[in-house]
Amino acid sequence: MMTSFLFRALDKNAALFLGLLTAIIVAVPALNLLLPPDHPLHVPTYAVTLMGKYLTYALLALSVDLVWGYCGILSLGHAAFFALGGYAMGMYLMRQIGTRGVYGDPLLPDFMVFLNWDTLPWYWYGFDMFWFAALMVLLVPGLLAFIFGWFAFRSRVSGVYLSIITQALTYALLLAFFRNDMGFGGNNGLTDFKDILGFDVQADTTRAALFAASGIALGLCFIICRAITRSKLGKVLVAVRDAESRTRFLGYRVEHYKLFVWTISAMMAGIAGALYVPQVGIINPGEFAPANSIEAVIWVAVGGRGTLVGAVIGAVLVNFAKTWFTAAFPEFWLFALGGLFVFVTLFLPKGIVGTVTDNWAKVSRRKHAVDERPGDTPSTRPAPNPAE
Amino acid sequence: MTRQTSLLYLDGVSVSFDGFQALNELSLVIAPGEMRAIIGPNGAGKTTMMDVITGKTRPDTGDVYFDGVIDLTGEDEASIAELGIGRKFQKPTVFESHTVRDNLDLALKAPRGPFQTLFHTITGAETKQIAYLLDLIRLTDKQSELAANLSHGQKQWLEIGMLLAQDPKLLLVDEPAAGMTDAETEETAALLKDIAEDHSVVVVEHDMTFIRSLEVKVTVLHEGSVLAEGSLDHVSADPRVVEVYLGR
Amino acid sequence: MPYLKSLLVVLCLLILPAGSAHAQEDTESLRPLINELAGGGFSETEQQLGVLAATGNPGVVPALEALADGDLYARKSDGVVFIGERDGRVYKLTDPLTLEPAGEERRRDMKKIKVNNGLRRVIRTALGTLTLMAPDPATRLAAADAMFKAQDPGSIEALDLALTQETEPRVRRKMEAARAAAVLKSDKPEAVKLGAIATLEALGNRDALSVLSGFLPEAQGAEVPATETAMARIDKTLAAWGAAENVWYGISLGSVLLLAAIGLAITFGVMGVINMAHGEMVMIGAYVTFVVQEIIRTSAPGLFNYSLFMALPLAFLTAGLVGIAIERGIIRFLYGRPLETLLATWGVSLILQQAVRSIFGPTNQEVGNPDWMSGAFELGQMTITYNRMWIVVFSLLVFAGLMLVLKKTPFGLYTRAVTQNRRMAASMGIRTPWIDALTFGLGSGIAGIAGVALSQIDNVSPNLGQGYIIDSFMVVVFGGVGNLWGTLVGAMTLGVVNKFLEPYAGAVLAKILVLIFIILFIQKRPRGLFALKGRAVDA
Repeated sequence: MMTSFLFRALDKNAALFLGLLTAIIVAVPALNLLLPPDHPLHVPTYAVTLMGKYLTYALLALSVDLVWGYCGILSLGHAAFFALGGYAMGMYLMRQIGTRGVYGDPLLPDFMVFLNWDTLPWYWYGFDMFWFAALMVLLVPGLLAFIFGWFAFRSRVSGVYLSIITQALTYALLLAFFRNDMGFGGNNGLTDFKDILGFDVQADTTRAALFAASGIALGLCFIICRAITRSKLGKVLVAVRDAESRTRFLGYRVEHYKLFVWTISAMMAGIAGALYVPQVGIINPGEFAPANSIEAVIWVAVGGRGTLVGAVIGAVLVNFAKTWFTAAFPEFWLFALGGLFVFVTLFLPKGIVGTVTDNWAKVSRRKHAVDERPGDTPSTRPAPNPAE
Repeated sequence: MTRQTSLLYLDGVSVSFDGFQALNELSLVIAPGEMRAIIGPNGAGKTTMMDVITGKTRPDTGDVYFDGVIDLTGEDEASIAELGIGRKFQKPTVFESHTVRDNLDLALKAPRGPFQTLFHTITGAETKQIAYLLDLIRLTDKQSELAANLSHGQKQWLEIGMLLAQDPKLLLVDEPAAGMTDAETEETAALLKDIAEDHSVVVVEHDMTFIRSLEVKVTVLHEGSVLAEGSLDHVSADPRVVEVYLGR
Repeated sequence: MPYLKSLLVVLCLLILPAGSAHAQEDTESLRPLINELAGGGFSETEQQLGVLAATGNPGVVPALEALADGDLYARKSDGVVFIGERDGRVYKLTDPLTLEPAGEERRRDMKKIKVNNGLRRVIRTALGTLTLMAPDPATRLAAADAMFKAQDPGSIEALDLALTQETEPRVRRKMEAARAAAVLKSDKPEAVKLGAIATLEALGNRDALSVLSGFLPEAQGAEVPATETAMARIDKTLAAWGAAENVWYGISLGSVLLLAAIGLAITFGVMGVINMAHGEMVMIGAYVTFVVQEIIRTSAPGLFNYSLFMALPLAFLTAGLVGIAIERGIIRFLYGRPLETLLATWGVSLILQQAVRSIFGPTNQEVGNPDWMSGAFELGQMTITYNRMWIVVFSLLVFAGLMLVLKKTPFGLYTRAVTQNRRMAASMGIRTPWIDALTFGLGSGIAGIAGVALSQIDNVSPNLGQGYIIDSFMVVVFGGVGNLWGTLVGAMTLGVVNKFLEPYAGAVLAKILVLIFIILFIQKRPRGLFALKGRAVDA
């Protein structure tokens, strides 16, 4: 059952994407580690880390797309799940510092010593073990999403109302994590990491490994998303997106479907956050900012919602543009980003991938006049109306 | 007829929205296997009645029973659909970004849980059933078309097909002939009569020729309660019905 | 006793400039009496103090005050008395009556008039007596207040004397309280002290409570239970006032929320448009205020007090026009697609923020309060600042004005018609696109004038709007979409709840709790407090 489920994910397009991703996962670390720094094809370590960061963003975009593109739930709070996953990883990395901290306390992270705490809070227990932290990366965002979704979907909060309360959720978490007595480092967050699984986080090899890990996580989550969206459940999700109450009258318990996909999506965002933190070397409450969540949504919109590849492409493109802009014209980045929001919603509602495949489908149809059965590859899908 | 022997039993159902009385002590009984037409001017409460039966709206007072024993007022839309009540909406509502085939596939009687659908693989019986339905609603050659690309009448038919795919005991059909050509209307009436052979059907319609061609018992709703009931000739002779339709 | 000192300086400033020719003459007659202070030992000085006090002339206050501080000196050569300030090897002299500089003298030419604690008490009483009889009620009140704080049994007589003449009820109450406080420190019999306790209990404020709690350890016999009950009762009164104060703070916060949310209630509630740039409309209003004040500062400083009145229409117009531009340029293409509208307007908000940041810089801008917005007044046991009060009034006026516009004008009628049935309205000849644009402009304009008000209490920076957008949405959603009364009730409820939570949970946690509360509330009543019911809403 499981194999047929996963097998469904692998059609030609998916294989193309996964092949490309594999090539990148192999090539970038190889070009970084094996070539001498003065070689023209050498990829500097900072670029590896930067691209690794893009991959985690792509995974976040994938998770947003799963709920928004396929189920019509516009989450303005996915950064919360991302940040929670990041904090879980950050807590593990903090515990790994041990006596190498500024205060040299074997048990307490520096900021706790600074706050004159004498015991480790109970919720920091277990984070010295990687497997536990990894479990929490999935469980904490998943559980929060489950509880939140349980309430929200059962009482049929949907559309913009849901968007606004997801935003309130991440805002509340932002305020909470700013507090020193929450025990997560307050304003400064968690930083000064030393090593992960015994490897120095600053080392080139570790960086390359983290990059590869991000790529592999992205690939695996892509396969899972693909399998989900191409299953009958995926069809139900799209049905919910397009005509929620009709789906109900067919006998589907819409809230269960939403809750399922919402929780899965939150866990993926958590994984993305967990891979993000060791690469950027810090996690602080700023990651909860509502603006971050909305930015993730625009990555998906740019790439093309309802197309998994689009989410990945959108995230990488927008973030590449951000890196370039903020270096070249720092004042204009917000103009560009704001303009992008307006432009995409007005002129490119299907995003890059959606528009391209649309035109391509039209051309190929004229050529062959064949009706290929569209699964999740968008062909002449009308602009989804998640307002339903 | 008693509640126990009925298929659908509404007694004293009232619903109000912010002071507006949409249903007022409505009582209606449908027998197993019966086909019933419901007419009434705008605002008579036809759609609200359907909402109450399908669990979208909770009645303020009154009883709603299905199959004699199941209290529908305590159930939600999904479980009512699972119990065997299918509904076609006034405005044709199909899943526009799915193909005709997928629309039917989604409607097919099958386990409805998320994990069941996640690992669902289509069976031979299901393929057969879909082929049968496609043929019935005359959309076989459009089966890979997106539902969005269908004409209005085709959408109506697809929705009826989806209703049948659910294999419900009771079909609630809201204005199936709206926006159809005369020929299409005739065919729709024939189709409904076919369906009524082995299902109970409640049809809400404005089109009197359509109602006449169904040749069934008619219930006239007015201001949220039953004004008259009987054959079409009987109710059209009722002066109160005439007044409601013409007298204002 | 620094408090008393500064108080007296203030008193002097109050009294002296008011000196008429008559006062001048009196003042000169006082000079010999003051010079007598240098007469000899403590007892002579004390006697002379009595004489000075008996004149009832406030002109002697500075001299007495200086004496209490040990700053009064007599010139050895002629015995004339001055207020002196040590400056290296000389004293800088000040005339004790006119308070004008009177040159310098070498230190060895001056003799300090000595004081001890006994004398200081006498001086205080004398000062108290003098000011208690002053013609200005504010001076008398301040004097009584100082005595209340000093709690000196020696002031009882002075107070008794003053009470025989005092007619102003406010001052009388204060004097009685001061007397009661002094009585508790004295060795008067129990019955008198019980009376004093009752007086303090009737006063019922924090000061009375502290006097009583200071007295409790010294209380004897029947005084103990009397003090305890009095304290308990005062505690209760204070708790009631504390609650009232919380309500006021809550209403004040609520009015800020109302101002921020009310424009949103129109664009979101009435039109169903999610405008994430709403906060930036508020920000634009605040910056208009800043610009208006800058222009006034440079060209017509005299008009500063009217700056807000000038800013209001300008802010309304500016924000309103920006709103109309957004509606015409973006939103009208996205009707029926609320989630896209949300994203596009978020983009607009980023652009507006960055535009303001580019023009005015990223830092906070200085927006001043006009005089009538500054200061505070007392109401019972609580202090109400004028700016908060005016903002409450203003928010209610805006609310009422908006209600009037929507209910009584043709524009309001059209707006409601378009809201309820767009196609019907269009077929009746209403230009629905214009109504959309104008309604959106109205909502944005109101956000603009909210910005004028909020510039008075918040930092005017490009991020101003971001702080309000989530709260505003919470208010509208909580109150019930499409219902302005819901917005009013929602804003006030959230404000008050927030302020009541703050003492227990702290400001941040209170905010988090309120957010969680709303999140849960929306689950329970997805359409808010005052939801419209019916088929149309579900469509």
